Amino acid sequence: MADNKKKVLEMLAQNKISTDEAYRLLSALETEGSASEGTPKSGTAAKMKSKYLRVCILSGSEHEHGGKSDRVNVRVPMTLIRSGMKFTSLLPPEARDKVTGALQEKGIDFDMRNLKPEEIDELIEALSELEVDVAGSDGETVKVFVE
Amino acid sequence: MKRPPMLMHVIIRGERRGFGLWLPLFLLLPLALALFIIVSPLILISILVFWPRGWRKRALHIFGAAFEVFCSMRGLNVDIQGDHHCVYISAV
Repeated sequence: MADNKKKVLEMLAQNKISTDEAYRLLSALETEGSASEGTPKSGTAAKMKSKYLRVCILSGSEHEHGGKSDRVNVRVPMTLIRSGMKFTSLLPPEARDKVTGALQEKGIDFDMRNLKPEEIDELIEALSELEVDVAGSDGETVKVFVE
Repeated sequence: MKRPPMLMHVIIRGERRGFGLWLPLFLLLPLALALFIIVSPLILISILVFWPRGWRKRALHIFGAAFEVFCSMRGLNVDIQGDHHCVYISAV
């Protein structure tokens, strides 16, 4: 946008356009700039929308323990997930191999070496659509969602 | 630039005893900065030592990334309650 303004001013200096025309062009450029700032890209909008990952686990044994039930309520900021994922890219290759090996031992087929920084944002964005709602027969519930 | 968390509220309760803490992180930040300045010559030496192994980039970025993780902790809330135990951590 700055380049366009410069061009308009150059045209004015070379007397190719009048001051009125230059004023109108500059105003139009400013309006265009503020409009594009006002409408964020879809990716950014998604990032702004989802702020926290929530994990809620409630046991169904409320009556067995004198009215108190076991519960887990975790709220993780999405920014923390994003920076945590970026932090993993700084792990030395030896450590990554160990983590990948440990995950595979547990039956999780996830290779950290394939995780690229540009894919992290895509992954976080995809998380905004995540919703897990599990209800057990004893009344226990597990909810994982993004808010 | 993200604002780092100012306070951390920690409550840990066991069957008989427990404690609650309000950690003023905003007071710890200047201390951490002072410590970083004191330790910086050692960091510089370690970067030079690891330079041939190709860890230079990692060593340079790790502090920035760690600070980013710390700043992102704002809003973190962990609340785990059992029959007689309770763990509550909140970064404000």
